[in-house]
Amino acid sequence: MCAQPVTNTKEVRWQKVLYERQPFPDNYVDRRFLEELRKNIYARKYQYWAVVFESSVVVQQLCSVCVFVVIWWYMDEGLLAPHWLFGTGLASSLIGYVLFDLIDGGEGRKKSGRTRWADLKSALVFITFTYGFSPVLKTLTESVSTDTIYAMSVFMLLGHLIFFDYGANAAIVSSTLSLNMAIFASVCLASRLPRSLHAFIMVTFAIQIFALWPMLQKKLKARTPRSYVGVTLLFAFSALGGLLSISVVGAILFALLLISISCLCPFYLIRLQLFKENIHGPWDEAEIKEDLSRFLS
Amino acid sequence: MACRGRGGPGQPPSAALSPVSPGSLSASRTSAHNICMVSDFFYPNMGGVESHIYQLSQCLIERGHKVIVVTHAYGTRKGIRYLTNGLKVYYLPLKVMYNQSTATTLFHSLPLLRYIFVRERVTIIHSHSSFSAMAHDALFHAKTMGLQTVFTDHSLFGFADVSSVLTNKLLTVSLCDTNHIICVSFTSKENTVLRAALNPEIVSVIPNAVDPTDFTPDPFRRHDSIITVIVVSRLVYRKGTDLLSGIIPELCQKYPDLHFIIGGEGPKRIILEEVRERYQLHDRVRLLGALEHKDVRNVLVQGHIFLNTSLTEAFCMAIVEAASCGLQVVSTRVGGIPEVLPESLIILCEPSVKSLCEGLEKAIFQLRSGMLPAPEDIHNIVKTFYTWRNVAERTEKVYDRVAEEAVLPMDQRLDRLISHCGPVTGYIFALLAVFNFLFLVLLRWIIPDSIIDVAVDATGPRGTWTHQHPHSEDKVEDSGKCKTR
Repeated sequence: MCAQPVTNTKEVRWQKVLYERQPFPDNYVDRRFLEELRKNIYARKYQYWAVVFESSVVVQQLCSVCVFVVIWWYMDEGLLAPHWLFGTGLASSLIGYVLFDLIDGGEGRKKSGRTRWADLKSALVFITFTYGFSPVLKTLTESVSTDTIYAMSVFMLLGHLIFFDYGANAAIVSSTLSLNMAIFASVCLASRLPRSLHAFIMVTFAIQIFALWPMLQKKLKARTPRSYVGVTLLFAFSALGGLLSISVVGAILFALLLISISCLCPFYLIRLQLFKENIHGPWDEAEIKEDLSRFLS
Repeated sequence: MACRGRGGPGQPPSAALSPVSPGSLSASRTSAHNICMVSDFFYPNMGGVESHIYQLSQCLIERGHKVIVVTHAYGTRKGIRYLTNGLKVYYLPLKVMYNQSTATTLFHSLPLLRYIFVRERVTIIHSHSSFSAMAHDALFHAKTMGLQTVFTDHSLFGFADVSSVLTNKLLTVSLCDTNHIICVSFTSKENTVLRAALNPEIVSVIPNAVDPTDFTPDPFRRHDSIITVIVVSRLVYRKGTDLLSGIIPELCQKYPDLHFIIGGEGPKRIILEEVRERYQLHDRVRLLGALEHKDVRNVLVQGHIFLNTSLTEAFCMAIVEAASCGLQVVSTRVGGIPEVLPESLIILCEPSVKSLCEGLEKAIFQLRSGMLPAPEDIHNIVKTFYTWRNVAERTEKVYDRVAEEAVLPMDQRLDRLISHCGPVTGYIFALLAVFNFLFLVLLRWIIPDSIIDVAVDATGPRGTWTHQHPHSEDKVEDSGKCKTR
């Protein structure tokens, strides 16, 4: 379709340039067409057990939600005294606090520059305020019907699981939103408990299990992977045990869910890698790899 | 009017384009086409696609074809307008959804477009830009009506994220039965062929062009005691403004006689202002803000070096305009840029601050040692590369080829949709194609083609424009008269 018919093509080689008039038609397809096409250059090779290990974060979070709901159920039924829960919670928090510093030998504390006095202050402020406001928390959603409370709690806990920071670099991740949703669910559920002391202890427990526990987990995972696996298994079994004491069917379903997430999903992830066809070429938008903020600081 | 302003009073675009009278050219031609350019993007909106459509239309009119442009209404500008040489523009009253692109339902534009295609006796629909919903609608309706279609793709897309997966699927559907596709560079062709799963034989590469008479050098406008680097681009992430914010302090500290002039506006302007503030460069970095296209040349001629930091680019008119003004171009090596200028006129760098700084330092060294050719010489080389005449000539060949092809009958079209676009999408769009056809049958029953008036033909071989208004200015037809409903 171009200006001249092809005459002595043997000598003339096609060039990938636009500024020269070449003796080829405009729709000419050279042998070099798509030669710069690359496939799966950024694809990662996954090891099965490594993926299983990583999936434990999800398992942990599911178990946290499960433990939380089980504890709430026991409190609601009057089978668990609030003082006992508070005592256990306080003891495990203290152990966790000591562990948190022990694991990395105080490195993280030095880096952040936070003193123990500051920790104590914020803990005291939080406990005092929650205790003072617990009558308000108790009555805040009391007038809402129980069905609505349950539905809301379910959505909030689901939201907590969806937006939780599992370590993926995605737009949907928001640890603030995730924590807020979990606390909201705990406030909702607390209003169904008999007294305001129950509500106070429920919200405190929610903070412990949804805010403090994941921090400790993260550090455990980074520093001592072996003990982390142990802790995860222990935690999963205790969550299952708790659920088993309430409902056998629920426990079986939950166990199936945990197994499919920790064993089946990694298997499928690796199997589906075979079908991956990620195309790259000169048309890709270039990435700025350097840190440009240094020019502004 | 926007398009009239670009040449200045002494040099209307038509004068630059038509030294030969249209009659003599059309006499030698065998077949003239009735072409309808469809895109959401046209004047008064400004940009590469807009000027491409305008310039291509003017050159095709010069070659004796009938050309009309269909776009959506811009503010109060709706109805029909005539531009230079009787180029008729329909501004259709369709709702703009996002970024000047109209909303699409695939059906609502059929009555209007069908009316236009019939009354203008259009034979070839030429759609522009994959961002334009109206362009895709027109391709779909044209196929239902049995017209030939051509599509020009002006942009590059990735494959990795969710949004591009969806848009690429839509492009596959839209281009599945388009007769011919035009891309602006070889990289763009590879990209489009992959995105829309096309046969590369039906994709032609016809580059963009710049009007070299608009971009002439003027060495007396620049100060040779200092070195001036020009940047003209929208200040957005995709144009690499972040890289620029790293280059400016790095080089300004090294070269005390280096100045930057930055034209363009955008959300990233703030970081350039911060850099200027932080390093106290107010007298050496000038931010001009948004530039009109006609002012670009006056900015370009003030500099010695042109810097382009784009992260993705299908063709990049800016570097051709800069080279045409006689500047040494330093650019990132992305997209179709390496194809645009020969190595002697451009310094290609990797998209990183370090590499771009090295490229600029090389250019500065060449400038100081007098190794760079004179601006006039660069201009004389560049002006032969890309001309709208050449673009029109090659596009015309595409039209000639397309006009001889047979339009797929309905059953084959449905087969092709189903086999080409995948099981789910294919069946959905085949169903929509059937609905569209039934809608067309209904419209034909309400107003048969035979009673639709034939529009006054302004351009083309027997165009009224050349007979009645040989030297007149633009005519604006009263929008009340037009048949847009």
